[in-house]
Amino acid sequence: MPWEVIIFYLIAGVAILSAGGVVAARNPVHSAVLLMVCFIQIAAVFVMLGAEFLAVIQIIVYTGAILVLLLFVLMLVDPEDLPEFHTGRPVQRAIGALLGLILLLEVAAAVVTRTITGRQGSATLENIEAVGGNTEALGRQIYTEHLLAFEIVSMVLTIGILGAIVLAMPERLGVSGYRRRDTISLGHPRGTDLALPATAGAPIRATAGSKPEPAGIGRTLVMAGDPDEQPVVGGGRR
Amino acid sequence: MELTVDHFLGLSAALFIIGLMGVLMRRNVLIIFLCVELMVAAVAITFAAFARETNTLDGQTFALFAIAVAAAEAAVGLALILALSRRVRSVDVDEYRTLRD
Amino acid sequence: MNDQPLWLTFIFAFLIMNVLLIGMAYMTYFERKMLGAMQDRMGPTRTGPKGLLQPIADGIKLLGKEDLIPRAADKWVFFFAPLIVFVTAIVGAAVIPFGGTINAFGRDLNLYITDLNVGALFVLAFSSIGVYGIILGAWASSNRYSLLGGLRAAAQVVSYEIILGLSLVGVFMLAGSLSLRDIMLEQQTNLELGPLTVKNWFILSQPLAFILFMIAAVAETNRAPFDLPEAESELVSGFHTEYSAFRFSFYFLGEYISMIVVSLFAATLFLGGPSGPGSSDHWYLGILYILIKAIVFLFFYIWLRATLPRFRYDQLMGLAWKVLLPLVILNIVVTAAIRLASDGLLF
Repeated sequence: MPWEVIIFYLIAGVAILSAGGVVAARNPVHSAVLLMVCFIQIAAVFVMLGAEFLAVIQIIVYTGAILVLLLFVLMLVDPEDLPEFHTGRPVQRAIGALLGLILLLEVAAAVVTRTITGRQGSATLENIEAVGGNTEALGRQIYTEHLLAFEIVSMVLTIGILGAIVLAMPERLGVSGYRRRDTISLGHPRGTDLALPATAGAPIRATAGSKPEPAGIGRTLVMAGDPDEQPVVGGGRR
Repeated sequence: MELTVDHFLGLSAALFIIGLMGVLMRRNVLIIFLCVELMVAAVAITFAAFARETNTLDGQTFALFAIAVAAAEAAVGLALILALSRRVRSVDVDEYRTLRD
Repeated sequence: MNDQPLWLTFIFAFLIMNVLLIGMAYMTYFERKMLGAMQDRMGPTRTGPKGLLQPIADGIKLLGKEDLIPRAADKWVFFFAPLIVFVTAIVGAAVIPFGGTINAFGRDLNLYITDLNVGALFVLAFSSIGVYGIILGAWASSNRYSLLGGLRAAAQVVSYEIILGLSLVGVFMLAGSLSLRDIMLEQQTNLELGPLTVKNWFILSQPLAFILFMIAAVAETNRAPFDLPEAESELVSGFHTEYSAFRFSFYFLGEYISMIVVSLFAATLFLGGPSGPGSSDHWYLGILYILIKAIVFLFFYIWLRATLPRFRYDQLMGLAWKVLLPLVILNIVVTAAIRLASDGLLF
């Protein structure tokens, strides 16, 4: 077998194994790490397909930005709050596996029986090399033929950012001190930095059913919106 | 044995279906989100593979746009998860049933 | 560019890697001596003449220490996180050109490991993977101070990476390429500035981008005054609190090697890389020049550390999003307009 095929099978094997791990891992942080491995393999596949720019963008955007944000959220979720994967819902899992198998067979049939229609383009490897490489060729393509689509994608990104800000904003900014009280509940099973009522002796464990009500009396941890302002300590409400 | 476009299509299909099964089988909304990202990336491989087969760059352009749209989707999706978990205090998709009850 | 046999590239890559590792060891010596001089003390003096063997002694000490793993730690993630930092730091050096193609030892040799079409983005991509080592190590330690350090690192690196990437867009527009070798060659052309002729170093045409790049690079490598992830006084060393012995040394190696790689990267992008008097005739002068330029940047890092106090966290994020981001976009727009005007395409 030529080297190219061996390398492809190595990459594909790691990609599929790590993708399976994403689905099967108990701990969501492990899922995210395995997805990172899988995305790097996909970038390698892009390099094998001669799409170097796509490979680098894949790493920068997916691995460097999206997955880091996700890890950020994942680390802040208490592992005791997570729904258990390995218990319950056998019907759901069986149906999922069945549908996946059926789709796999369909796609395999489609790949095996397909024929190429349409005409061959002119972007052979030699022609791409002549304009200066994959990045230059792709740049010409985007800024000439696909200019309108490019502008629309930039609009989509802008709207996406605005939508994210609107959705993630607290409903009323005035109550942010109270609302942000539990933003430092770290993802460890030992307990959280939730408000400790002065009367209760034992630290409160953050399990799904036992979220403590905001304590009206006693010591309350308050995170201020602006580090310079003095939060009201004692009452806890502003 | 030669490396053909079918190899890449097969890999793409396998990754897409693993992602789909994850979406169907898991209940943690964050894992479902990860699996959706995996599906988008798998489709991008198909675009790039067909681009090489037909000697055009349209496929790569399309994959680039798909990555950009996935970035926007990730931003909105994470904000939605944040808003949901603030309201329901859970990341289990089965707990999100205010509209059904 | 010539296609040389693979084994030659391997030898060159091996050399670069060893130079980086030794350079990193003596970077710590250089830093301690410089900090000592700036704070009016001696720095290391006891090990070897003028303390020159201090880095080696430190290395042996770190290897000999006990390797502690906290019981609550996530073993696998704890094990792999430092390796991610180390590997991604060192991979960036693969695209740095130390010169063009030379004729030595009876054959044509490339003075770079590889010339990627997307070289500059390659460095950025690997530095963005490097942040995983920090946040995963922080999470796996199962320690709140570590986790806070890791969260800070994630937010900081993601924010400053935008500045780092966008500050290079002006350079890319002027050079017309993302390949570091093309950028290096572009800077060897001459530029007429009235009566005097200078080399077309991009620091002359992109001064704002250069300043922004340096600020973002300091933040990206988590160095003072942006070293919030490892603020000793508040976070007990942040993400590597629980790490000891050789696992800790991987973080240490990674941090210093990424400083060296970023310095080489900055020298290539803005200071002409190996260009300098006589470098077109003698290739070894070119290598000497790029190393001197990198050392100037490394001195700048140490100087900053000795001079500036640490930022407060909200100031750090505010600086990135409210000050640097508008400036960097302004730089792109102005550069694009000037580039178009010089080609006669504007108005």
